[in-house]
Amino acid sequence: MALNKLSVAAYSYSPMDLLAVAAAREVRDGDIVFTGTGLPMLAIMLAQHTHAPNSVCIYEAGSIDGRPLDLPTSVGDARCAYQSAVISGLTETLYGQLHCGYVDLAFLGGAEIDKYGNVNTTVLGDYNNPLKRLTGSGGNPDVNSQARRTVYIMVQEKRRFKEQVDYITAPGWRIRKWPGGEYVHRREVYGKYFRGGVEAVISNMAVFRFDEEGVMYLDTVHPGFTVADVQAHCGFELNVSRVKGETLPPTQEEIDLLYQVIDREGIFLP
Amino acid sequence: MGKPQNITLKEAAGLIQDGQQITFGGFTIWRRPMAFVYELIRQGKRNLHLLEVNGGTHSEILIGAGCVSIWESCWSGHELYGKLGEMVADRHVNGGMIVEDYSHGHMVARILAGAYGLPFFPSAQSLGTDLLNPEFDSLGRAGLRDGSHPKIPRKKYEFAPDPFYDRGELLLLPAANPDWAIFYASQVGEEGTVRVNVQTYADSEVIKAADKVIVLAEEIVPESYLRLEPEKNIAAGYAINYLIKLPWAAHPTGSQGFYDVDADFIRTFYRASKSQETFDRWADEWIFDIPDHERYLQKLGIGRLENIRANPVLGYSTRQKRGTR
Repeated sequence: MALNKLSVAAYSYSPMDLLAVAAAREVRDGDIVFTGTGLPMLAIMLAQHTHAPNSVCIYEAGSIDGRPLDLPTSVGDARCAYQSAVISGLTETLYGQLHCGYVDLAFLGGAEIDKYGNVNTTVLGDYNNPLKRLTGSGGNPDVNSQARRTVYIMVQEKRRFKEQVDYITAPGWRIRKWPGGEYVHRREVYGKYFRGGVEAVISNMAVFRFDEEGVMYLDTVHPGFTVADVQAHCGFELNVSRVKGETLPPTQEEIDLLYQVIDREGIFLP
Repeated sequence: MGKPQNITLKEAAGLIQDGQQITFGGFTIWRRPMAFVYELIRQGKRNLHLLEVNGGTHSEILIGAGCVSIWESCWSGHELYGKLGEMVADRHVNGGMIVEDYSHGHMVARILAGAYGLPFFPSAQSLGTDLLNPEFDSLGRAGLRDGSHPKIPRKKYEFAPDPFYDRGELLLLPAANPDWAIFYASQVGEEGTVRVNVQTYADSEVIKAADKVIVLAEEIVPESYLRLEPEKNIAAGYAINYLIKLPWAAHPTGSQGFYDVDADFIRTFYRASKSQETFDRWADEWIFDIPDHERYLQKLGIGRLENIRANPVLGYSTRQKRGTR
């Protein structure tokens, strides 16, 4: 810890660097990780280069445990597939890997999140008469419903951290049981397919986790921000009773790996 | 049965009737049959029902040109080169197209059921979400689930208990069997055997699910070559109805082993797609003012194509500058 602090003084890091590093630290050695494009790619590769060399990466488009020479810019990229154990397609990744229960951890993103970890990537406003249409679900809800742990990477803004999302694209801890639509704990909806759920949310200001009831609480605050800053950028009253302290900043080794090895072309880290 | 029929791009696009249900091979910004999409637009197709596992640049262009009246899928955009599917978004907000949202896993389940000749496929994915909110069943709200439309199921989904092992309620997703699959293949043999390079996406399922299949081949190669490594092939020739030989047919989307995604081209399109007016100007320049694929390639120019041409060993371009370093 003292060493980290010392090395911090000697170099600078960007908010993106801290996000990548904080996300990488969520990977446990041996995890089978389902990853999307962008920052999550940096996170899994950084984890593989540091504390989790036995973790494995599955990209939705079909590559399983690839060892890319060059950073992919899409999960459909040929770069993902270099030296992969298996090359396949969507039936294999979404059903043969995800539905059958191999996936330990997934990194996902969203436009809005609520205090139960429900995420919206579909519309702002009423679905039948929306104010704004977003990208749509993609595999976000599938991955989030079947990985044992999911980590969301979000921008910290009041309008994005909401009491209730406008549309539940991906299921958090309190979701709707159809056809009736009553709100119940996720376990009740998934039954024997319940494997876990949203474990952490990492924003540009803080790391959040979920209590036994599935309600979000503030875990650590990134260097340079206060608990009050985070609350001011959150649209619901945040449980701050369990704050552990400051998010560990990146080390020099992590920064070097990110800029000189993983993203040496400056694609996600310009 | 037997070999696919060789056909021109214009003839093939002419086979698609207004109002039919179509789907595409490929994934987001990879291996999309773009030359065919441009030709559908030139021929002024209307009221197409586009059902696809996921959308991408091709969907945005087809929708922006006013060819699509129903879009069933899960996602539209251009990945890193344009965050939002602006045309899907515009139609959803302002009307003009029915948008039916499923998840990616749901769409794969639907195509999988269609491919295997099953009426539905069960899944435990994306339960508890608003994708299953009965109020958000767009085709139902439009009165199109009355059983009179052969390609539209009577229900968006159904729940049923597992009758065998008591695993609880599962979601049943209705099969999709589009009238047409339009498909881009890396290599096709003289007898129609189909190979795609690297990730297979939902390609073999899309071919099997559709009533009829049109393939645009980057290369036609000897059958004997493809049959040396049959494990790399995804369909036999009898599954393909029509074949078009058309190099660079997936541009600006990527084709592993042949060319990378043309990032600048897609970024430029994405900016144009932010209003109908700028879209229309883009479509004039890149679709309507160009009579055919050959002229499209001439307009792109050799420099641009060389820049994205794949390194044959790695399968992707090592010339394209991708980042700031």
